[in-house]
Amino acid sequence: MSRSAHEWTARPRLQDDEFVSSTVYTHPGIFELEQERIKRATWKFACHESELPTRFDFRTVEHAGYPIVLVRTEEGGIRAFINSCSHRAATVVRAPRGNAEQWRCLFHAWTYDTRGRCIAMPRASGYEQAGLCKDGMGLREVKVGIKLGMIFINLNDEGSPFDEYFGDAFEILEDVMGTKELEVFHLHKTVINANWKQWFETNMEIYHEYLHFLNRNIAMSNDEFYERRWKIYPNCHGTLTPMKQRYERVKGLGRRDERTLPGLTPGEFRVVDLFPDTTILCRATVLRIDTSNAISPNQTLVEQRGLGIKGESAEDRLIRINHHNQFWGPFGRNLPEDVVAVEAVEKSNRCGASRYGIMARHDEMKSLDDALMRAFYKEWSEYMGRPASNPLGALPGETNAANR
Amino acid sequence: MPLTDNQIGALIYRSGLFMDEENFDGFMQLCASDFRYQITAYSPELGKEMIWLNLDREGMEHLLKNIPNHVRLPGSFLRNLNVYLMEPQQANGDVHVTSSLLVIHTDLEGASRLYAAGMYIDDVVLSSGSPQLKSRTVKLATRQLGPGSHVPL
Repeated sequence: MSRSAHEWTARPRLQDDEFVSSTVYTHPGIFELEQERIKRATWKFACHESELPTRFDFRTVEHAGYPIVLVRTEEGGIRAFINSCSHRAATVVRAPRGNAEQWRCLFHAWTYDTRGRCIAMPRASGYEQAGLCKDGMGLREVKVGIKLGMIFINLNDEGSPFDEYFGDAFEILEDVMGTKELEVFHLHKTVINANWKQWFETNMEIYHEYLHFLNRNIAMSNDEFYERRWKIYPNCHGTLTPMKQRYERVKGLGRRDERTLPGLTPGEFRVVDLFPDTTILCRATVLRIDTSNAISPNQTLVEQRGLGIKGESAEDRLIRINHHNQFWGPFGRNLPEDVVAVEAVEKSNRCGASRYGIMARHDEMKSLDDALMRAFYKEWSEYMGRPASNPLGALPGETNAANR
Repeated sequence: MPLTDNQIGALIYRSGLFMDEENFDGFMQLCASDFRYQITAYSPELGKEMIWLNLDREGMEHLLKNIPNHVRLPGSFLRNLNVYLMEPQQANGDVHVTSSLLVIHTDLEGASRLYAAGMYIDDVVLSSGSPQLKSRTVKLATRQLGPGSHVPL
Protein backbone atom coordinates (compact mmCIF):
# COMPACT_ATOMS: atom_id res chain seq x y z
CA MET A 1 0.00 0.00 0.00
CA SER A 2 1.31 3.45 -0.79
CA ARG A 3 1.68 6.02 1.98
CA SER A 4 0.31 9.52 2.54
CA ALA A 5 2.59 12.52 3.14
CA HIS A 6 2.02 12.19 6.86
CA GLU A 7 2.85 8.51 6.84
CA TRP A 8 5.88 9.08 4.61
CA THR A 9 7.38 11.74 6.86
CA ALA A 10 6.47 10.13 10.17
CA ARG A 11 9.24 8.67 12.26
CA PRO A 12 9.62 5.02 11.27
CA ARG A 13 8.24 2.54 13.79
CA LEU A 14 11.67 1.17 14.39
CA GLN A 15 14.28 1.24 17.11
CA ASP A 16 16.41 4.39 17.08
CA ASP A 17 19.40 2.53 15.70
CA GLU A 18 17.44 0.91 12.88
CA PHE A 19 17.12 4.04 10.76
CA VAL A 20 18.88 7.34 10.14
CA SER A 21 17.51 10.71 9.19
CA SER A 22 18.44 11.67 5.64
CA THR A 23 19.71 14.95 7.07
CA VAL A 24 22.84 13.10 8.21
CA TYR A 25 23.71 13.14 4.50
CA THR A 26 22.44 16.55 3.46
CA HIS A 27 22.63 19.15 6.21
CA PRO A 28 25.53 21.65 5.93
CA GLY A 29 25.74 22.06 9.70
CA ILE A 30 25.99 18.32 10.20
CA PHE A 31 28.67 18.17 7.55
CA GLU A 32 30.81 20.83 9.22
CA LEU A 33 30.38 19.17 12.58
CA GLU A 34 31.44 15.81 11.11
CA GLN A 35 34.58 17.36 9.71
CA GLU A 36 35.47 18.70 13.15
CA ARG A 37 34.31 15.90 15.42
CA ILE A 38 34.94 12.82 13.30
CA LYS A 39 37.25 13.46 10.37
CA ARG A 40 39.68 15.68 12.24
CA ALA A 41 39.46 13.58 15.39
CA THR A 42 40.09 10.03 14.14
CA TRP A 43 42.83 8.13 12.33
CA LYS A 44 42.71 8.52 8.57
CA PHE A 45 44.42 6.45 5.89
CA ALA A 46 46.70 8.87 4.03
CA CYS A 47 48.82 6.80 1.64
CA HIS A 48 50.89 3.63 1.36
CA GLU A 49 54.55 3.39 2.33
CA SER A 50 55.47 2.43 -1.25
CA GLU A 51 54.48 5.95 -2.29
CA LEU A 52 57.46 7.31 -0.35
CA PRO A 53 60.11 4.63 -0.81
CA THR A 54 63.30 6.61 -0.22
CA ARG A 55 64.43 9.22 2.25
CA PHE A 56 63.16 12.74 1.60
CA ASP A 57 60.39 11.42 -0.66
CA PHE A 58 57.21 13.34 0.01
CA ARG A 59 53.53 13.02 -0.83
CA THR A 60 50.84 15.62 -0.49
CA VAL A 61 47.27 14.65 0.31
CA GLU A 62 44.18 16.37 1.61
CA HIS A 63 42.27 15.39 4.70
CA ALA A 64 39.10 17.00 6.06
CA GLY A 65 39.84 20.10 4.02
CA TYR A 66 43.41 20.41 5.31
CA PRO A 67 46.43 20.13 2.99
CA ILE A 68 48.88 17.58 4.38
CA VAL A 69 52.45 16.74 3.42
CA LEU A 70 53.98 13.40 4.40
CA VAL A 71 57.70 12.76 4.17
CA ARG A 72 60.12 9.86 4.51
CA THR A 73 62.66 11.23 6.95
CA GLU A 74 66.41 10.95 6.76
CA GLU A 75 66.16 8.21 9.41
CA GLY A 76 63.59 6.26 7.40
CA GLY A 77 60.48 7.10 9.40
CA ILE A 78 57.42 8.98 8.25
CA ARG A 79 56.37 12.42 9.46
CA ALA A 80 53.38 14.51 8.47
CA PHE A 81 52.59 18.19 8.67
CA ILE A 82 49.80 20.53 7.77
CA ASN A 83 51.04 21.80 4.43
CA SER A 84 50.49 25.44 5.20
CA CYS A 85 53.15 28.10 5.65
CA SER A 86 53.45 29.47 9.18
CA HIS A 87 53.75 32.95 7.71
CA ARG A 88 50.70 33.64 5.54
CA ALA A 89 49.24 30.18 5.04
CA ALA A 90 50.24 29.47 1.44
CA THR A 91 50.45 25.80 0.57
CA VAL A 92 54.15 25.08 0.90
CA VAL A 93 54.56 21.84 -1.07
CA ARG A 94 52.46 21.93 -4.20
CA ALA A 95 53.50 18.81 -6.10
CA PRO A 96 51.66 15.53 -5.41
CA ARG A 97 54.99 13.77 -4.92
CA GLY A 98 58.70 14.46 -5.09
CA ASN A 99 61.96 14.38 -3.22
CA ALA A 100 63.40 17.34 -1.35
CA GLU A 101 65.38 18.02 1.79
CA GLN A 102 63.84 21.45 2.15
CA TRP A 103 60.54 23.01 1.22
CA ARG A 104 60.49 26.66 0.30
CA CYS A 105 57.21 28.52 0.29
CA LEU A 106 56.68 30.15 -3.10
CA PHE A 107 55.08 33.26 -1.61
CA HIS A 108 57.72 34.84 0.66
CA ALA A 109 60.42 32.14 0.70
CA TRP A 110 60.04 30.93 4.26
CA THR A 111 61.76 27.55 4.17
CA TYR A 112 61.24 24.36 6.17
CA ASP A 113 63.17 21.13 6.59
CA THR A 114 61.64 17.65 6.66
CA ARG A 115 61.40 17.79 10.43
CA GLY A 116 59.01 20.69 10.03
CA ARG A 117 61.48 23.26 11.34
CA CYS A 118 61.48 26.72 9.84
CA ILE A 119 65.08 27.08 8.69
CA ALA A 120 64.96 30.32 6.74
CA MET A 121 63.06 33.60 6.73
CA PRO A 122 64.45 36.14 4.31
CA ARG A 123 65.72 39.21 6.21
CA ALA A 124 64.65 37.72 9.51
CA SER A 125 65.86 40.80 11.42
CA GLY A 126 62.67 42.54 10.35
CA TYR A 127 60.74 40.36 12.77
CA GLU A 128 62.98 41.04 15.78
CA GLN A 129 60.95 43.99 17.00
CA ALA A 130 57.85 41.76 17.09
CA GLY A 131 59.80 39.09 18.95
CA LEU A 132 59.29 36.53 16.21
CA CYS A 133 62.03 34.18 15.10
CA LYS A 134 62.18 31.06 12.99
CA ASP A 135 62.60 28.77 16.00
CA GLY A 136 58.98 29.23 16.93
CA MET A 137 57.57 29.12 13.40
CA GLY A 138 57.75 25.47 12.40
CA LEU A 139 55.04 23.62 10.54
CA ARG A 140 52.18 22.07 12.49
CA GLU A 141 53.03 18.40 12.89
CA VAL A 142 50.36 15.73 12.50
CA LYS A 143 50.39 12.38 14.27
CA VAL A 144 51.36 9.38 12.15
CA GLY A 145 50.67 5.67 12.64
CA ILE A 146 51.82 2.90 10.31
CA LYS A 147 50.35 -0.57 10.01
CA LEU A 148 51.10 -3.17 7.32
CA GLY A 149 52.55 -0.49 5.05
CA MET A 150 49.52 1.74 5.40
CA ILE A 151 50.19 5.24 6.69
CA PHE A 152 47.51 6.86 8.82
CA ILE A 153 47.37 10.41 10.15
CA ASN A 154 45.43 12.03 12.95
CA LEU A 155 44.87 15.77 13.24
CA ASN A 156 43.83 15.41 16.86
CA ASP A 157 46.88 15.49 19.13
CA GLU A 158 44.73 14.27 22.01
CA GLY A 159 42.97 11.51 20.07
CA SER A 160 43.16 7.78 20.75
CA PRO A 161 46.61 6.23 20.42
CA PHE A 162 46.94 4.48 17.05
CA ASP A 163 47.19 0.91 18.39
CA GLU A 164 44.31 1.46 20.78
CA TYR A 165 42.10 2.98 18.07
CA PHE A 166 42.49 0.07 15.65
CA GLY A 167 43.01 -2.76 18.14
CA ASP A 168 42.81 -6.11 16.32
CA ALA A 169 40.97 -4.76 13.29
CA PHE A 170 43.84 -5.68 10.97
CA GLU A 171 44.05 -9.30 12.09
CA ILE A 172 42.82 -10.82 8.82
CA LEU A 173 45.22 -8.65 6.86
CA GLU A 174 48.39 -9.54 8.77
CA ASP A 175 49.31 -12.40 6.42
CA VAL A 176 48.11 -10.68 3.25
CA MET A 177 49.86 -7.38 3.80
CA GLY A 178 52.56 -8.29 6.27
CA THR A 179 54.38 -11.19 4.59
CA LYS A 180 55.72 -9.61 1.43
CA GLU A 181 56.30 -5.98 0.66
CA LEU A 182 53.44 -4.53 -1.37
CA GLU A 183 53.31 -1.53 -3.64
CA VAL A 184 50.64 0.64 -5.18
CA PHE A 185 50.22 0.23 -8.94
CA HIS A 186 46.87 1.95 -9.32
CA LEU A 187 45.58 5.20 -7.92
CA HIS A 188 42.58 7.05 -9.11
CA LYS A 189 40.30 9.67 -7.67
CA THR A 190 36.86 10.67 -8.66
CA VAL A 191 34.29 13.12 -7.37
CA ILE A 192 30.91 11.54 -6.84
CA ASN A 193 27.66 13.37 -6.21
CA ALA A 194 26.90 11.73 -2.90
CA ASN A 195 27.69 12.02 0.78
CA TRP A 196 30.87 10.36 2.05
CA LYS A 197 28.91 8.06 4.38
CA GLN A 198 26.76 6.81 1.52
CA TRP A 199 29.95 5.75 -0.20
CA PHE A 200 31.27 3.99 2.90
CA GLU A 201 27.93 2.25 3.32
CA THR A 202 28.58 0.38 0.07
CA ASN A 203 31.36 -1.37 1.96
CA MET A 204 29.38 -1.89 5.16
CA GLU A 205 26.37 -3.73 3.80
CA ILE A 206 26.73 -6.58 1.41
CA TYR A 207 23.27 -7.15 0.03
CA HIS A 208 23.70 -4.29 -2.42
CA GLU A 209 25.61 -6.99 -4.34
CA TYR A 210 22.27 -7.52 -6.10
CA LEU A 211 23.36 -4.40 -7.98
CA HIS A 212 26.47 -6.05 -9.39
CA PHE A 213 26.21 -8.46 -12.28
CA LEU A 214 29.60 -9.97 -11.46
CA ASN A 215 28.93 -10.39 -7.75
CA ARG A 216 25.53 -11.94 -8.30
CA ASN A 217 27.27 -14.64 -10.28
CA ILE A 218 30.56 -15.19 -8.53
CA ALA A 219 29.49 -14.57 -4.92
CA MET A 220 25.74 -14.53 -4.31
CA SER A 221 25.28 -17.82 -6.10
CA ASN A 222 27.15 -19.54 -3.23
CA ASP A 223 25.49 -20.46 0.09
CA GLU A 224 28.75 -19.47 1.73
CA PHE A 225 27.99 -15.87 0.80
CA TYR A 226 25.01 -15.77 3.18
CA GLU A 227 26.62 -17.70 6.02
CA ARG A 228 29.51 -15.31 6.56
CA ARG A 229 29.38 -13.32 9.77
CA TRP A 230 30.25 -9.77 10.65
CA LYS A 231 32.81 -9.18 13.34
CA ILE A 232 32.71 -5.74 14.85
CA TYR A 233 35.72 -4.48 16.77
CA PRO A 234 35.88 -1.69 19.34
CA ASN A 235 35.71 1.77 17.73
CA CYS A 236 33.50 0.33 15.00
CA HIS A 237 35.90 -1.33 12.62
CA GLY A 238 34.47 -4.43 11.00
CA THR A 239 35.22 -7.51 8.95
CA LEU A 240 33.30 -10.33 7.34
CA THR A 241 34.26 -13.98 7.41
CA PRO A 242 36.42 -14.57 4.31
CA MET A 243 34.83 -16.54 1.47
CA LYS A 244 35.79 -18.15 -1.83
CA GLN A 245 34.41 -16.43 -4.90
CA ARG A 246 33.84 -18.35 -8.15
CA TYR A 247 35.31 -16.09 -10.79
CA GLU A 248 35.07 -18.81 -13.40
CA ARG A 249 31.28 -18.49 -13.37
CA VAL A 250 31.48 -15.37 -15.53
CA LYS A 251 33.01 -16.03 -18.91
CA GLY A 252 36.07 -13.91 -19.45
CA LEU A 253 37.02 -13.45 -15.79
CA GLY A 254 39.23 -16.54 -15.68
CA ARG A 255 40.21 -18.07 -12.35
CA ARG A 256 42.15 -16.77 -9.40
CA ASP A 257 43.93 -19.92 -8.35
CA GLU A 258 47.47 -18.72 -8.94
CA ARG A 259 49.45 -15.70 -7.83
CA THR A 260 47.25 -15.32 -4.75
CA LEU A 261 48.50 -12.81 -2.23
CA PRO A 262 50.17 -14.27 0.88
CA GLY A 263 47.74 -16.10 3.14
CA LEU A 264 44.89 -16.11 0.63
CA THR A 265 43.49 -19.30 -0.85
CA PRO A 266 42.33 -19.45 -4.49
CA GLY A 267 39.42 -17.10 -5.07
CA GLU A 268 39.41 -15.90 -1.45
CA PHE A 269 37.74 -12.60 -0.65
CA ARG A 270 38.36 -10.56 2.49
CA VAL A 271 37.14 -7.15 3.55
CA VAL A 272 38.06 -4.85 6.43
CA ASP A 273 36.19 -1.62 7.16
CA LEU A 274 37.95 1.01 9.23
CA PHE A 275 35.90 3.73 10.89
CA PRO A 276 35.13 6.23 9.55
CA ASP A 277 35.89 5.99 5.84
CA THR A 278 38.47 3.43 4.72
CA THR A 279 38.04 -0.11 3.39
CA ILE A 280 40.59 -2.74 2.42
CA LEU A 281 39.37 -5.44 0.06
CA CYS A 282 41.29 -8.51 -1.08
CA ARG A 283 40.22 -10.42 -4.18
CA ALA A 284 42.64 -13.37 -4.03
CA THR A 285 45.33 -11.91 -6.25
CA VAL A 286 44.91 -8.21 -5.71
CA LEU A 287 44.19 -5.74 -2.96
CA ARG A 288 42.34 -2.44 -2.97
CA ILE A 289 42.43 0.38 -0.45
CA ASP A 290 39.39 2.59 -0.72
CA THR A 291 39.11 5.90 1.11
CA SER A 292 37.35 9.20 0.62
CA ASN A 293 37.49 12.89 1.36
CA ALA A 294 34.29 14.75 2.02
CA ILE A 295 34.04 17.91 -0.08
CA SER A 296 30.52 19.00 0.83
CA PRO A 297 27.39 17.25 2.08
CA ASN A 298 26.68 15.98 -1.42
CA GLN A 299 30.13 15.70 -2.95
CA THR A 300 32.85 13.23 -2.08
CA LEU A 301 36.27 12.62 -3.51
CA VAL A 302 36.71 8.86 -3.65
CA GLU A 303 40.30 7.65 -3.79
CA GLN A 304 41.19 4.07 -4.65
CA ARG A 305 44.47 2.24 -4.77
CA GLY A 306 45.34 -1.15 -6.21
CA LEU A 307 48.31 -3.02 -4.74
CA GLY A 308 50.51 -5.89 -5.86
CA ILE A 309 53.74 -7.47 -4.68
CA LYS A 310 56.81 -5.29 -4.93
CA GLY A 311 59.45 -6.68 -7.25
CA GLU A 312 57.22 -9.25 -8.96
CA SER A 313 57.73 -10.02 -12.65
CA ALA A 314 56.14 -7.83 -15.31
CA GLU A 315 54.00 -10.79 -16.36
CA ASP A 316 52.67 -11.34 -12.83
CA ARG A 317 52.07 -7.65 -12.36
CA LEU A 318 50.06 -7.41 -15.57
CA ILE A 319 47.86 -10.32 -14.54
CA ARG A 320 47.29 -8.69 -11.18
CA ILE A 321 46.45 -5.38 -12.86
CA ASN A 322 43.98 -7.17 -15.13
CA HIS A 323 42.34 -8.81 -12.14
CA HIS A 324 42.13 -5.43 -10.42
CA ASN A 325 40.56 -3.82 -13.47
CA GLN A 326 37.91 -6.49 -13.91
CA PHE A 327 36.11 -5.11 -10.85
CA TRP A 328 37.74 -1.85 -9.85
CA GLY A 329 39.08 1.33 -11.35
CA PRO A 330 37.13 3.68 -13.64
CA PHE A 331 36.59 0.93 -16.21
CA GLY A 332 35.96 -1.88 -13.75
CA ARG A 333 32.59 -3.60 -13.81
CA ASN A 334 31.66 -2.86 -10.19
CA LEU A 335 32.82 0.66 -9.41
CA PRO A 336 30.51 2.49 -11.86
CA GLU A 337 27.55 0.53 -10.51
CA ASP A 338 28.26 1.57 -6.93
CA VAL A 339 28.57 5.21 -7.98
CA VAL A 340 25.34 5.17 -9.99
CA ALA A 341 23.55 3.65 -6.97
CA VAL A 342 24.76 6.09 -4.32
CA GLU A 343 24.14 9.06 -6.62
CA ALA A 344 20.57 7.82 -7.00
CA VAL A 345 20.23 7.85 -3.20
CA GLU A 346 21.67 11.35 -2.97
CA LYS A 347 19.21 12.63 -5.57
CA SER A 348 16.28 11.50 -3.43
CA ASN A 349 17.74 12.78 -0.19
CA ARG A 350 18.90 16.14 -1.53
CA CYS A 351 15.73 18.12 -0.93
CA GLY A 352 14.08 15.85 1.55
CA ALA A 353 12.02 13.72 -0.84
CA SER A 354 13.22 10.81 1.24
CA ARG A 355 13.36 11.32 4.98
CA TYR A 356 14.94 8.19 6.36
CA GLY A 357 17.37 5.42 5.54
CA ILE A 358 16.42 2.02 6.88
CA MET A 359 19.06 -0.21 8.50
CA ALA A 360 16.77 -2.73 10.13
CA ARG A 361 17.91 -6.05 8.69
CA HIS A 362 18.76 -8.54 11.43
CA ASP A 363 20.27 -11.87 10.51
CA GLU A 364 22.30 -13.11 13.49
CA MET A 365 25.29 -11.06 12.36
CA LYS A 366 25.37 -12.90 9.06
CA SER A 367 26.39 -11.10 5.92
CA LEU A 368 22.95 -9.63 5.14
CA ASP A 369 22.65 -8.16 8.63
CA ASP A 370 22.84 -4.36 8.87
CA ALA A 371 24.86 -4.77 12.06
CA LEU A 372 27.92 -2.84 10.92
CA MET A 373 25.76 -0.01 9.56
CA ARG A 374 23.99 0.25 12.90
CA ALA A 375 27.31 0.16 14.74
CA PHE A 376 28.67 2.86 12.43
CA TYR A 377 25.80 5.23 13.18
CA LYS A 378 25.98 4.47 16.89
CA GLU A 379 29.64 5.48 16.79
CA TRP A 380 28.79 8.47 14.60
CA SER A 381 26.12 9.55 17.10
CA GLU A 382 28.61 9.40 19.96
CA TYR A 383 31.20 11.49 18.15
CA MET A 384 28.55 13.95 17.00
CA GLY A 385 26.68 14.20 20.30
CA ARG A 386 23.34 13.65 18.59
CA PRO A 387 21.44 10.64 17.32
CA ALA A 388 21.67 9.80 13.64
CA SER A 389 17.93 9.14 13.72
CA ASN A 390 17.22 12.77 14.64
CA PRO A 391 20.43 14.77 14.40
CA LEU A 392 18.93 18.23 14.06
CA GLY A 393 16.93 18.19 17.24
CA ALA A 394 19.95 19.29 19.19
CA LEU A 395 21.37 21.89 16.83
CA PRO A 396 21.28 25.30 18.56
CA GLY A 397 18.40 27.47 17.37
CA GLU A 398 17.08 24.92 14.93
CA THR A 399 14.20 22.54 14.79
CA ASN A 400 13.56 19.55 12.62
CA ALA A 401 10.83 21.40 10.75
CA ALA A 402 12.99 24.43 10.07
CA ASN A 403 15.67 22.35 8.54
CA ARG A 404 13.69 20.13 6.23
CA MET B 1 49.02 -2.05 -52.07
CA PRO B 2 49.77 0.32 -49.19
CA LEU B 3 46.99 1.78 -47.13
CA THR B 4 45.83 5.22 -48.14
CA ASP B 5 45.32 8.08 -45.72
CA ASN B 6 41.63 8.09 -46.60
CA GLN B 7 41.26 4.40 -45.75
CA ILE B 8 43.02 4.87 -42.45
CA GLY B 9 41.09 7.98 -41.52
CA ALA B 10 37.81 6.27 -42.36
CA LEU B 11 38.75 3.35 -40.12
CA ILE B 12 39.58 5.55 -37.15
CA TYR B 13 36.49 7.70 -37.46
CA ARG B 14 34.24 4.72 -38.04
CA SER B 15 35.62 3.02 -34.93
CA GLY B 16 34.57 6.06 -32.90
CA LEU B 17 31.18 6.17 -34.53
CA PHE B 18 30.51 2.50 -33.87
CA MET B 19 31.41 2.91 -30.21
CA ASP B 20 29.19 6.01 -29.95
CA GLU B 21 26.33 3.97 -31.40
CA GLU B 22 27.23 1.02 -29.16
CA ASN B 23 27.44 -1.02 -32.32
CA PHE B 24 29.95 -3.35 -30.70
CA ASP B 25 29.73 -6.00 -33.41
CA GLY B 26 30.52 -3.33 -35.96
CA PHE B 27 33.47 -2.16 -33.87
CA MET B 28 34.88 -5.66 -33.53
CA GLN B 29 34.63 -6.16 -37.29
CA LEU B 30 37.12 -3.31 -37.60
CA CYS B 31 39.59 -5.18 -35.39
CA ALA B 32 42.21 -7.73 -36.40
CA SER B 33 42.17 -11.25 -34.99
CA ASP B 34 45.09 -10.39 -32.70
CA PHE B 35 43.58 -7.06 -31.61
CA ARG B 36 44.67 -5.59 -28.29
CA TYR B 37 43.02 -2.75 -26.42
CA GLN B 38 44.40 -0.69 -23.53
CA ILE B 39 43.44 2.35 -21.55
CA THR B 40 46.33 4.01 -19.76
CA ALA B 41 46.80 7.09 -17.61
CA TYR B 42 49.78 8.63 -15.89
CA SER B 43 49.61 9.04 -12.14
CA PRO B 44 51.50 12.11 -10.90
CA GLU B 45 50.96 10.82 -7.37
CA LEU B 46 52.76 7.54 -8.09
CA GLY B 47 55.04 8.80 -10.86
CA LYS B 48 53.96 5.80 -12.93
CA GLU B 49 51.98 4.93 -16.01
CA MET B 50 48.87 3.00 -15.01
CA ILE B 51 46.92 0.47 -17.04
CA TRP B 52 43.20 0.88 -16.50
CA LEU B 53 42.03 -1.67 -19.04
CA ASN B 54 44.03 -4.30 -20.92
CA LEU B 55 42.19 -6.72 -23.17
CA ASP B 56 42.89 -9.04 -26.05
CA ARG B 57 40.26 -9.59 -28.71
CA GLU B 58 38.48 -12.32 -26.77
CA GLY B 59 38.51 -10.28 -23.58
CA MET B 60 37.11 -7.28 -25.41
CA GLU B 61 34.33 -9.41 -26.86
CA HIS B 62 33.37 -10.78 -23.43
CA LEU B 63 33.37 -7.33 -21.93
CA LEU B 64 31.24 -5.81 -24.69
CA LYS B 65 28.82 -8.73 -24.64
CA ASN B 66 28.19 -8.28 -20.91
CA ILE B 67 27.57 -4.54 -21.02
CA PRO B 68 23.76 -4.93 -21.13
CA ASN B 69 23.97 -6.89 -17.87
CA HIS B 70 25.36 -3.94 -15.95
CA VAL B 71 23.75 -0.98 -14.23
CA ARG B 72 25.29 1.84 -16.21
CA LEU B 73 25.74 5.57 -16.26
CA PRO B 74 22.60 6.72 -18.07
CA GLY B 75 23.07 8.72 -21.27
CA SER B 76 25.35 8.49 -24.24
CA PHE B 77 28.91 9.22 -25.26
CA LEU B 78 30.12 11.09 -28.32
CA ARG B 79 33.74 10.71 -29.34
CA ASN B 80 35.26 13.66 -31.12
CA LEU B 81 38.34 12.49 -33.02
CA ASN B 82 41.04 14.22 -34.95
CA VAL B 83 43.66 12.17 -36.75
CA TYR B 84 46.97 13.93 -36.27
CA LEU B 85 49.60 11.54 -37.62
CA MET B 86 49.74 8.48 -39.88
CA GLU B 87 53.21 6.96 -39.80
CA PRO B 88 53.92 3.90 -41.97
CA GLN B 89 56.21 1.43 -40.22
CA GLN B 90 58.88 0.21 -42.61
CA ALA B 91 59.43 -3.04 -40.78
CA ASN B 92 55.98 -4.55 -41.19
CA GLY B 93 53.87 -2.21 -43.27
CA ASP B 94 51.63 -1.31 -40.33
CA VAL B 95 50.61 2.29 -39.92
CA HIS B 96 50.98 3.97 -36.55
CA VAL B 97 48.13 6.46 -36.11
CA THR B 98 47.90 9.18 -33.49
CA SER B 99 44.56 10.90 -32.92
CA SER B 100 43.19 13.25 -30.32
CA LEU B 101 40.10 12.17 -28.44
CA LEU B 102 37.45 14.15 -26.61
CA VAL B 103 34.57 12.22 -25.12
CA ILE B 104 31.38 14.14 -24.41
CA HIS B 105 28.70 12.65 -22.21
CA THR B 106 25.07 13.63 -22.67
CA ASP B 107 22.72 12.70 -19.87
CA LEU B 108 19.05 11.81 -20.10
CA GLU B 109 18.06 15.42 -19.52
CA GLY B 110 20.05 16.42 -22.59
CA ALA B 111 22.90 18.10 -20.71
CA SER B 112 26.32 17.53 -22.27
CA ARG B 113 29.68 17.84 -20.60
CA LEU B 114 33.24 16.95 -21.40
CA TYR B 115 33.81 13.50 -19.94
CA ALA B 116 37.37 12.70 -20.95
CA ALA B 117 40.29 13.98 -22.98
CA GLY B 118 43.10 11.87 -24.36
CA MET B 119 44.69 10.30 -27.40
CA TYR B 120 44.14 7.21 -29.47
CA ILE B 121 47.40 5.50 -30.34
CA ASP B 122 46.47 2.93 -32.98
CA ASP B 123 48.31 0.41 -35.09
CA VAL B 124 46.53 -0.30 -38.35
CA VAL B 125 47.17 -3.31 -40.58
CA LEU B 126 45.99 -4.30 -44.03
CA SER B 127 43.97 -7.48 -43.87
CA SER B 128 42.14 -9.02 -46.84
CA GLY B 129 42.33 -5.74 -48.68
CA SER B 130 40.90 -3.54 -45.94
CA PRO B 131 42.48 -1.75 -42.99
CA GLN B 132 41.94 -3.15 -39.50
CA LEU B 133 42.84 -2.08 -35.99
CA LYS B 134 45.65 -4.23 -34.68
CA SER B 135 45.88 -2.35 -31.41
CA ARG B 136 44.38 0.66 -29.72
CA THR B 137 45.81 2.40 -26.70
CA VAL B 138 43.69 5.14 -25.18
CA LYS B 139 46.09 7.44 -23.37
CA LEU B 140 43.92 9.43 -21.02
CA ALA B 141 44.75 12.90 -19.80
CA THR B 142 41.56 12.92 -17.74
CA ARG B 143 41.79 10.85 -14.57
CA GLN B 144 38.62 11.88 -12.82
CA LEU B 145 35.88 10.10 -14.70
CA GLY B 146 32.86 10.48 -12.46
CA PRO B 147 31.19 7.12 -12.08
CA GLY B 148 33.55 5.53 -14.59
CA SER B 149 32.30 3.66 -17.62
CA HIS B 150 31.40 0.12 -18.57
CA VAL B 151 31.89 1.03 -22.20
CA PRO B 152 35.50 1.34 -23.37
CA LEU B 153 36.38 4.76 -24.75
